[in-house]
Amino acid sequence: MASSEEERVPATNSAPSEVAVLPQKEEGDSTAQSSGKKKPSPLEKGGTLRGEAAEGKDPSPAALGKKSSAVSGEKFEDPRWKNGNWDMTKFVKNGKMDWDAVIDAEVLRRKWLEENPEASSNDDPVLFDTATVPWWAWVRRFHLPEAELLNGRAAMVGFFAAYLIDSLTGVGLVDQTNSFVGKLLLLITVVGILLVRKNEDLETIKTLVKESTFYDKQWQATWKDSEEQQKK
Amino acid sequence: MASALQGILSTPSARRVCEQSLEQGAGNAGNRLQSCQISVRSSHLSSAACLSGRSKLFLAASTPSLTRNSRPGLRILAAAGSKKLGNRKLRVAVIGGGPAGGCAAETLAKNGIETFLIERKMDNAKPCGGAIPLCMVGEFDLPLDIIDRKVTKMKMISPSNVAVDVGKTLNENEYIGMVRREVLDSYLRERAASFGANLVNGLFLRMEMPSDANAPYVLHYNLYKPGSSVGVPATLEVDAVIGADGANSRVAKDIDAGDYDYAIAFQERIKIPDDKMVYYENLAEMYVGDDVSPDFYGWVFPKCDHVAVGTGTVINKPAIKKYQVATRHRARDKIAGGKIIRVEAHPIPEHPRPRRVRDRVALVGDAAGYVTKCSGEGIYFAAKSGRMCAEAIVEGSEKGVRMINEADLRSYLQKWDTKYWPTYKVLDILQKVFYRSNPAREAFVELCADEYVQKMTFDSYLYKTVVPGNPLDDIKLAVNTIGSLIRANALRKEARKAVLT
Repeated sequence: MASSEEERVPATNSAPSEVAVLPQKEEGDSTAQSSGKKKPSPLEKGGTLRGEAAEGKDPSPAALGKKSSAVSGEKFEDPRWKNGNWDMTKFVKNGKMDWDAVIDAEVLRRKWLEENPEASSNDDPVLFDTATVPWWAWVRRFHLPEAELLNGRAAMVGFFAAYLIDSLTGVGLVDQTNSFVGKLLLLITVVGILLVRKNEDLETIKTLVKESTFYDKQWQATWKDSEEQQKK
Repeated sequence: MASALQGILSTPSARRVCEQSLEQGAGNAGNRLQSCQISVRSSHLSSAACLSGRSKLFLAASTPSLTRNSRPGLRILAAAGSKKLGNRKLRVAVIGGGPAGGCAAETLAKNGIETFLIERKMDNAKPCGGAIPLCMVGEFDLPLDIIDRKVTKMKMISPSNVAVDVGKTLNENEYIGMVRREVLDSYLRERAASFGANLVNGLFLRMEMPSDANAPYVLHYNLYKPGSSVGVPATLEVDAVIGADGANSRVAKDIDAGDYDYAIAFQERIKIPDDKMVYYENLAEMYVGDDVSPDFYGWVFPKCDHVAVGTGTVINKPAIKKYQVATRHRARDKIAGGKIIRVEAHPIPEHPRPRRVRDRVALVGDAAGYVTKCSGEGIYFAAKSGRMCAEAIVEGSEKGVRMINEADLRSYLQKWDTKYWPTYKVLDILQKVFYRSNPAREAFVELCADEYVQKMTFDSYLYKTVVPGNPLDDIKLAVNTIGSLIRANALRKEARKAVLT
């Protein structure tokens, strides 16, 4: 039994485990190994993870058991939430629609429901669609601050790099940007900062690449076996 | 082997010897000889291909040879690779009498192969969602009375209870069929028996591997005589085995097929009051959320006179009861006053086993791991793979006349992978993207409100083809997807900073 189990990556990171390995040995060998270990139950194998990884890739704090202590009561209630939708007339400030307040209200509603899941009701259905908040409100609220941050970082990195290259090669800023190598490095830097915004993004990209090909490898496993046999 | 043949065939005298020995192996039914023409060129691929059993592709009579080379008189008539069985038919055992086993046995029996269908419990009601796509009714000639309900509406419910109605794009003839597994399985088995398959009520224990390419497999099983619940040990000798015995397949263990990841699906059958049952007349519900499952969904499916409420998970199996309680809570108002009449659970494979074919044993259905991601659908693929594997055996043995070998079964794998790989991959991508986290699930439900999405989803589910849609609509859909995901994730990030008062 033990020889037919998969190699497992430790459960502290949620990277996908190895494709199941075909048992190499004859049945006789495995009995010596398995006598010391207890056979895992069906609930403990076949992809079960442990600890925080078992709650999914991006678990909510509620799923991890970290509930806010201020939460109490049963149903979500808010004076502006009527009939399963936000009453847009309640969000008008100084004669203009205050979309930020709508976003804040929806954030609180979702957080509440994550921590206190409610029964879905036919008499009182939820009809709110985030697309009712216009795109520029989302851009202004979420994209612009991050864009400012990234542009600031890019400018600092760029200034320092230009200074360094100038001190090493004597080529000034204008001449640097005129050369092909300079333009290429600038492009790489810009694209790089778009993709890798924090150090964690490198890990995320590696995990994504591994994930996107994992299923393919599982399907191809039966053909690898036949290739090995043909080579013999 | 290929290079050895290449060496042998390079001299004229050797070629003559080769001809003779191959013709001897082919037997003396000369006019039924499947032969192939080998052009003795330097490429050994054609010769190797001919002699390894794929020779069926090269019919001497019908193809004025594509492989004829410039030098005349060097054509070798080689027989198909495996030996003829003489005065008996090929014997094939199908272990497991579910949709996969039933359809495999039917195809085999229809084509004259001696078939044994071994099933341990003839009235087994396997825990199952029980949903079959429309194409299955047509492709497998299912009578409409085995369908208990025709589901034409679905409701997707997000973590924050945004509920979206799906099914507006279906016309009157399109539906998802809900069946009882005991009814479907026994219909398919009886149909196989009517074509000549031998139904054996027995529990398969193990099998002995053959000593050479023509020796039989010896199956050991416990035979249950009618009326008796005690099994009598029995053996059966067959030439090939199709393992259709489900997620905990013993055939797979015997051929060292390897393990797979699996989800545990837990389901409670609940009898709800009639007025509440009206709501579920032809509607099924899908609940998504961290509370219901970290990587799957919770469901309420209508059955013949009750509903099945269940959920599943791969990565957090020990907590399955917690997820079930959460699912029942989410559907609380709609199933209030219901009584639980049955509790059941079963593993669902997540991906195919590392080895699906070995010598003359092939796995089909759940035993092979042919369950899609995202929706967890397995009945249609089990039936279809059983049929395809049986067809490959029929073709490879020329309707039971010749012994088969691994190459014939690999051709079934080849056809299967080519035909259904896009479907599986697309569903895998959908699962990875949309079951990832609560924001992704919110975006998923938001997208399902779009009519184009509904149409594409139902077309691909009901007819099992990945339909390429209108490119402009696809671009709009891609933009909407990205927009929904960004919005939902942005809201979630804000939620981490927010404090509930």
